[in-house]
Parts: sequence; structure tokens; C-alpha cells
Amino acid sequence: MNAGERLRRTMMFVPGNSPAMLKDAGIYGADSIMFDLEDAVSLSEKDAARTLVYESLQTIDYGEAEKVVRINSIDTPYYLDDVRVMVKAGIEVIRLAKTDTAEMIQQLAKDTAAAEKEFNQPVGSTKLMAAIESARAVVNANKIAAASPRMMGIALSAEDYTTDLKTHRYPDGQELSYGRNVILHAARAAGICAFDTVFTNLDDEAGLIRETKLIHQLGFDGKSVINPRQIPIINQIYEPTQFEIEQAQEVITAINVAHEKSSGVIALKGQMVDRPVVMRAQRVMKLAIASNLVDEEGNYLEK
Amino acid sequence: MEIKKTVIAGTLESSDIQITLSPATGDNLEIELESDVLNQFGNQIKKVITETLQKFQITKVHVKAIDQGALDCVIRARTITAVQRALGQTEPAWEEL
Amino acid sequence: MTKIRQIFLQIPSLKRKWEQFLHQQGLTSFSEAEVTNLDFTLGLYEGQKLLGTGSISDNVLKFIAVIPGELSATYFNQIVSALQSYLVQNGQTHMMVFTKPQYEASFNYVGFKTLTKTIQGCLLESGNPGIQQYFKNLPNVSNQNQHQVAAVVVNANPFTMGHRYLIEKAAQENEIVDVFVLSANHSLFTSDERFHLVKLGVADFKNVRVFPGGSYLVSYATFPAYFIVSKDNVIRYQTTLDAQLFRDQIAPVLNIKRRYLGDEPFSHTTNIYNQTLKAVLPPKIQVVIIPRLQQGNQIVTATAVRQAIAHQEITMVKDFLPEITYQFIQDHQSELLERIGKGVNISGN
Repeated sequence: MNAGERLRRTMMFVPGNSPAMLKDAGIYGADSIMFDLEDAVSLSEKDAARTLVYESLQTIDYGEAEKVVRINSIDTPYYLDDVRVMVKAGIEVIRLAKTDTAEMIQQLAKDTAAAEKEFNQPVGSTKLMAAIESARAVVNANKIAAASPRMMGIALSAEDYTTDLKTHRYPDGQELSYGRNVILHAARAAGICAFDTVFTNLDDEAGLIRETKLIHQLGFDGKSVINPRQIPIINQIYEPTQFEIEQAQEVITAINVAHEKSSGVIALKGQMVDRPVVMRAQRVMKLAIASNLVDEEGNYLEK
Repeated sequence: MEIKKTVIAGTLESSDIQITLSPATGDNLEIELESDVLNQFGNQIKKVITETLQKFQITKVHVKAIDQGALDCVIRARTITAVQRALGQTEPAWEEL
Repeated sequence: MTKIRQIFLQIPSLKRKWEQFLHQQGLTSFSEAEVTNLDFTLGLYEGQKLLGTGSISDNVLKFIAVIPGELSATYFNQIVSALQSYLVQNGQTHMMVFTKPQYEASFNYVGFKTLTKTIQGCLLESGNPGIQQYFKNLPNVSNQNQHQVAAVVVNANPFTMGHRYLIEKAAQENEIVDVFVLSANHSLFTSDERFHLVKLGVADFKNVRVFPGGSYLVSYATFPAYFIVSKDNVIRYQTTLDAQLFRDQIAPVLNIKRRYLGDEPFSHTTNIYNQTLKAVLPPKIQVVIIPRLQQGNQIVTATAVRQAIAHQEITMVKDFLPEITYQFIQDHQSELLERIGKGVNISGN
């Protein structure tokens, strides 16, 4: 299977200055854990949160989850130390808040590379993500998504974005429809992941389901979450259907058959199977396994 | 080195530890610890605080620590932050991280 | 995810919500003046929902309340630590709280030490300099416990012949007299000015020492009492707390065995204060009440002096004042008038 395409259905925000949440972040089954040094941390606690996240990363086991940190934006005095300390900690992904231009990502890539050298991390090992939080950023999304080979994904951050648009968030999400589509296309064109924004009303489960179905339909890889309770709800919507799993199994079988025959051409039902179809099949199988819908041999489990 | 001002780091929230550093009244490290798990983990908590202070070569300070069940990494992080605040260091403590 | 945010009580609608919240948590009888004096108020929110609040006035934590439920202790700790961080960041490393007796344990749990308590309320402190440091800074007479020591507590706003008369009486009847000058800066004369004038004004009495009251000898009237429902109980609670603090914490350290008071012909509340001191201090400390000094047929009071300053008739009260105080007022007349103009309260004590 394609190792580069890991599941990223849920990216859970963990306030960087909260020991209780840092301690337990690994137990909820989030695909990615995003340690937040930005909005969740007040100005007077920036130093404390950075040190706390660093120390937590040294000792707490976050299992299979991808470890992401949201750092303070490039125009703040915290930015460069955030990059350096987090690279030293061996973070997998740095998410840059308030990314408005490709140049910001290029600057971050440069600073990340310098930090990797400084702290003896493999150069190029740290991936980057951009948070799209303004109209300007949406307009620049294509360039941002393609700004660096380190780019792993781009994410919509709707609170600041809707403020910039002179609106606010509505239950039906109409105000986000353009931004979501732009971000998704920029991500797909650049071959990286697309993440949707958080759903903030914890009491409105129906709203979370509605919004997750929508972004799943659009093609997003996943959604940011602010509470562990949201994770199973989102995962359920990302579960493949039995039909999708069977289709994927056919594609995988066809690949294996082609390999056995040492044939360069993968054929299924008389049609040639091309790369996007293979990738989708691999992704469906990953989702199926993560959702416990298939057994170890890949057989569909009746629920 | 000695600590000459009073600073606070950490909170009273669950799993955290609140570290207050202030000028020592005597001539060495004084640690005043309050914790629900004082009997079981009191020595371990003091040890982590002491080791962290030693890395900064702090020899004279009064430490008041109110533990809410913090892991060692949290105790270390809060002590580092407190020392940096007391010494007015804004650059990350590379040697101690 | 809960978040701490500042609540701006300047905004009427937010203030109303805050007051409603406090009402729901059983804090109902606070005065407008007490609310106006708050330096900082914060709220703990989940989304838009207020879960708890706390405030700061000088170095005193006030109006702390959280919604009931299994997380109330968590919310309480979040609020107290946020308030502590705010104070320390603003250079205030010593903090106090006055609260209902049922919250004493909650504050003890987060490191506050109880100074004194009554049935209605208790006083706790945290941080430093604490009361032990305050004692350390008092001059140490090694054989103080072999002397007859008396105490006088004055605000001296400003120092008058009346204060001097009271201290003189105490000095004649005791081996050592410790005079405490209240340190709070809410009076017409600043705490430095008051302390300075007292110190100079009694310099000729060789057995009198003058100390700043610090955080422990304060005007009982500044004790927050918003959590006490009945107004009648407020003064009794405030004065009892004050008297107990003096009896149990201050007096033993300095071996104080007597406390001298001026009798109180005018003020109802001060009269209650004297009554409380008489009820609480003995038998450990004897209360000695001295009739007020009269000049002609007028009783000497600092209130009359302040009125005279306000009306620019300082010569009218020349007889009330030691030369040094009189000179000081003459030299600073315009400045004092300016303070009065800015609204410093000159009536009361």
C-alpha cells in the first residue's frame, strides 16, 4: 500500500498549556493530534506552553497518531522559537497559523531546514501545513499548497476567515462554500491533504453530522476537532460502504494478479485501472481497517 | 545562582503543578510541597524540581509547589518556565530542554 | 474546551450578566462601590457559557464563584490560578482572600493559609511576603516578653494632637508602645505621608516605636463582605476578624498586652469596632479606652482637620495639630486641595 497516504480523518486540537489534555490526547483515537501554541494559549503563557509541549513530546506516548503543532504566525515574536523548539522535539508536522502567502511557507521551510540542521534532525523530515484564515489566503491557496515539497496539507480555519469576509459562521455553512472548494482544489492540484475547519458547538451533534457529511462529499480528507467526543461521529461518516470495500478489494486483487504475472498493466473487468483508482482503493481499505469493517485478511465483517 | 524575584508558573488545574519561586530565606534550596500524593510521590516530585534547578545552577531559592497530580515531564516544564521567568530569559533553555 | 477571558464590567450588558451569575451562585449583597473598585475580572467559559468568575482588587481575590456540579473544583482551581498569575505578572506576589467558611478548605487546598476565621467568614493569604516575613521585618527586641508592651493602631489622616495624646498616655503607662500606621492608600494623606508625620510627631517619646501596618493591620472597613447576606452582620464580621487577627497573630509576636483606643463619641461604626475589641481582645489583651482630647470645648479629630483643609481654613484647626503636621499641610496645601478636587473622600475615618 501507499505509505504516503495516511488517514487523516480527525485532527484533534490540544491546548498547549493544558497538562491534563496533553496527558490524555493519545487515547481518543484521533488520526492526528495538533498541539496548539497559538489561539489556545494566552500571550503571557506562550513560554510555558512551548516548554510544556516539548517536555510532553519527550515522554508521553501518542501511539500511532501523527503529531502536529500549530505555531504562532510568522509576524509574532514567538514564531522562530516555536519552530526551533518543535523541530528539536521531533514534531512530525508544523502547521503555520494565518498563512496568507506562499512566501510565508517558503520562509517557514527555510527556518525549519535550519532548525533540522541545528538539532541534528534528518533534513526534510518535518512536514508543513498551512492554515488558511483570510480571503487573501484563499486567493493565494494554489500557490500556498504548492509552495514547498514539505507541504503535507492545507486547512481551512473558519473563525478568522469568516471575520475577514465580514460575516460569521452560520449553521448551513453557505459562507464557507467558496473557500472550501478553493482549498480542496488547491490541495488536490498540489497532491496534498485538505482539512476542514472545526465545528464549535459541542451540543449540536446533528450539526456536526451535517457538516461532516458535506465536507466528506466535497472530498476533504478530514476535519479538525476540538473535543474527543467528535471523533467517533466523524469517523463513522468516513466509513466506506460494503459496496466501496468490495470494489476496492477487486482493484487490489487485480493489482496482485498483475504483479504475479509481472504485467505492467492492471486490468479489471476489461478496463485499464489507472493511478487515481488504485489510490482510492488503497485509501478505502485503510479506512475499512481503521473502522473495523474488515478482518485481517480483508474480508468484510457483517455488522 | 540565586533567585531574586517572585514568579509563578503552572496552574492549579488537574494534572498540573503550580511552581512559585521566591528569594530564599536561608542559604540553599527550600522546597515546600503540597500534594495529595505527598506520601507516595513527594520525594520524586522534589527530586525532579531539584534536578531541574541544578541544571540552571540555581542554589538559593524558595520553591512552593502545589501539585495536582502532575507527570514528571510537567513538573520539569513548569520548573524550567519558572526559572526562566525569574532570570528574565526569553530565549528557550536549549541546554535544559 | 474551556477558556479564560477577561470580563469588561464597563460594558453594562456584560456587567448585568456577571451580576446575574453571581446572584445564581448565592452572592447577592455586594455594593456598587465594591464593584467599582475591582481592577480585573475574568470569566471561565465553555463557548458562550459562563462557568465561573473571579476578580481582583489590589491584592485581594474577590467575587469568586463557579457553577455547582462535579467539575466545580476544577473550575475553581482554574480561576484561582488565573487570578494568581495575573497578580504575579503585575508584580503583586502577596495575595489575600476573604471568603465564606465553607470555602476555606478549597483555598487551603490550593496553598492559601488561614490567618483567622469567624463563623461568618475567614481571611486567608498566599504568596510572599506573608505574615511571617512581616514579623521578621519588625525590629526584634530580644527581651520584649519581659516588658509591658502596649499597642496603638492609627490611620492618622493626618496625625493630630489627639493621636499624640493617646500615644502619650500609653507611653506613660507602659514600657514599650508599638504604634501601627495603616498602610492602605485610600486616604487624603498618602500612607508614606501619614507614617512620616506619625514618626516625627512621636519622636520625643523614647519608648514608642512606629510600624507600618502592612497587610495585617488594615482598616476593617476594607474587608470585603459581599458574601454576607445580612447588613447588620457585616460590621460585626469585619470588626471581629480584625480583632482576632490582632489578638492571635500580631500581639503574641510583639508580646502586646494592652491596646489603647480613643473613645468614640461620633461614629456609630467605630463605636461598634471598640465594642468588638472589648469583647474579643480580653483576657489576653487588656483594652484601655482614653477619652478624646479637647481643645477649648472642641474634640480634636482628623475629620475636622480635613474639612478645614477643604475649606482653606487651616488656621482654624492650628491648635489640633502638632507643629510638624501643621507645617506639612501649609507646605502642601495646593496639592492636598487638588486631591480633594479629584474626589478623595475626606469624611469618615
